[in-house]
Amino acid sequence: MLASWMLAQSDYPIPMTNLTLGHYLFVAAAMFAIGLIGFLTRRNLIIMFLCTELMFQAAGIALVAFSRYHLNHTGETFVIFVLTVAAAEAAMALALVVLLFRRRESLSAEEWGQMKG
Amino acid sequence: MIGPVILYTLLALGAVGVCMALPRRGVSPQIIGAVIAAAAGGLVIVALSLKAAPAIPNVYFYIFSVISLGAALRVITHPRPVYAALYFILTVLSTAGMFVILGAEFLAFALIIVYAGAILITYLFVIMLATQAPTGGDTEILPEYDAVSREPIAATLAGFVLLGVLTTLMFRGLPNLPPPGKPPEETLIVRMPGKVETALRNAGLMKAGEKLDRNEQTGAPAIDLAAGVVRIVDKDGVPRAIERKDWPAGMKPANIEGVGFSLLADHPGAIEIAGVILLMAMLGAVVLARKQVELDEEAKARHAAKLSAETEGV
Repeated sequence: MLASWMLAQSDYPIPMTNLTLGHYLFVAAAMFAIGLIGFLTRRNLIIMFLCTELMFQAAGIALVAFSRYHLNHTGETFVIFVLTVAAAEAAMALALVVLLFRRRESLSAEEWGQMKG
Repeated sequence: MIGPVILYTLLALGAVGVCMALPRRGVSPQIIGAVIAAAAGGLVIVALSLKAAPAIPNVYFYIFSVISLGAALRVITHPRPVYAALYFILTVLSTAGMFVILGAEFLAFALIIVYAGAILITYLFVIMLATQAPTGGDTEILPEYDAVSREPIAATLAGFVLLGVLTTLMFRGLPNLPPPGKPPEETLIVRMPGKVETALRNAGLMKAGEKLDRNEQTGAPAIDLAAGVVRIVDKDGVPRAIERKDWPAGMKPANIEGVGFSLLADHPGAIEIAGVILLMAMLGAVVLARKQVELDEEAKARHAAKLSAETEGV
């Protein structure tokens, strides 16, 4: 049998305290920051897009945590739309990356430095 | 919630760790950096839990958060793109675990199917398609843009300043949040007479000839939440009420039913727009993928130089 403290907050209709919500929000913020750092430092186009997915993921955690706190399904519905946008973005971005790779045979973001205004 | 001194010290420690863990040439203290960053992140969560003492989250939260943040760190620090993508799958799986703890089962499985199953496989395909063939017999050599990160110190600083601002504002705002509302479950069952009827029949509370009583004018089922009764009639029209304390557990709407009502009844316009976005993405990807491109001049010259170097070497 699992001890009750192990299952604290897991029973769905039991309200969640705002301190518990803080844990989830910190994880979401930390994951967003990691994604941002990755986007800024990595030079491989594919990894840069992977880091944007990491940031989408972080937003998803925050939305679901708030939806659990308010006992309301709207946050979860929004994550479905985030998922949709992420899928569309991945399809377009990766098609572009393949085109760029065919042209220069390199995935480096700096190859396309002259495109900056 | 956490004292600002402790919080900012730990965040600075985390920044140092992440900065050390980013890939670079030569002696790279990746493991030490990862350990420092993990320790800092872990200590922030522990400090939060000490403040929250009686209301700490489920123990699985700690497991999943450690796995997801560690894997996320590895996504941005692993020099090889394939491994980065695989670590991202690990992040997605542990995030799905967190969603299960939060009572969002439908999303947890949707995340695994859509992210880990579809999006990440697309990434892996593109990584395999768009990788330079190793020159010579040396497969261990990494391209320069994978092995060296750009401006690690400035970027880490920017990321952790953002994290510091976010956490400060969050912890300041959390105590002022409105208290959680009532669960939507109760109001949802009024919209699901079929489910109520099935649940009552399965629990043996409704006999073969009986059916849910309905309002004669509107046809609405007689599920009275205020009074806490469900009214049923038998085949002779004799009414009978089932009280809230007898309601079977099967009458409680599941998470997927709540999400379904929210998605299709409350946000029908948004789902249409999502469909249009997906259609446009599909068309765009098809158009882009059909386009013929040639190597531009610079790359052609590089290619020729590489070929001649190889033939000279033979």
